[in-house]
Amino acid sequence: MRTFDTKNFAAVSYGTDSVIDFPAGLPGFEQRRRFVALQFPDTAPLVFLQSLEDPGLCFVTLPVRAVDPDYRLQVSAEDRELVGLPAVRPLRIGEDVIALAVTSIRESGPTANLLAPVVVNLKNRRAVQAIAANAGYSHQHELLPQEACVCS
Amino acid sequence: MLMMARRQGETILIGDEIEVVIAHIGRSRVKVGIRAPREMVVVSREVKLVREENAAAAAPPQSSFVNLIAQLRPAIQVFSPRSDERK
Repeated sequence: MRTFDTKNFAAVSYGTDSVIDFPAGLPGFEQRRRFVALQFPDTAPLVFLQSLEDPGLCFVTLPVRAVDPDYRLQVSAEDRELVGLPAVRPLRIGEDVIALAVTSIRESGPTANLLAPVVVNLKNRRAVQAIAANAGYSHQHELLPQEACVCS
Repeated sequence: MLMMARRQGETILIGDEIEVVIAHIGRSRVKVGIRAPREMVVVSREVKLVREENAAAAAPPQSSFVNLIAQLRPAIQVFSPRSDERK
């Protein structure tokens, strides 16, 4: 086990076999290649993608099917090759890969990036943020649509 | 917006330094070659959107990290029972 001092979770212990490797980084963070996925009972099913190279870099993500139960995953040939996924076969979420939507907080509320989920190959733990250019998903999918907020 | 009809192999010039070649036309996609000065950033629009989105996601004001989790929780309650990714 190794430990890494993070900004938000203090010291995190991890096995080398739980490191997620992004061969190309993530758009805007091309130099950040190694992450661990953290989950806590209190915040499930949130998955925290914590960088092992930058203590302050942590993406808060949700499994895409937790955001949209009917989400259809599309990964381009280039991205499949990058992380060693089969070229043509449909990818089974939970068996071949996990797919995580990166969330962020805007003034209008929290959103999830369904345009470009983080796709992790479960066989080798290599990952890519796969842009599904023609799938019609939003990079700012609202997690709490305005109508749902009218409580009183 | 200026619209131009071009065939495969034909080129469009933007200013003196940028050349756009229609390299291949497939059934539903076209392959475009772009020649531009090295310092000019050429990316697809989606890559720019994702880059900006990642920057926003990675830089919540520090005090709002806990806040973010609190804000996300109602969304999770709504959606999680139907997630097939939970064990």
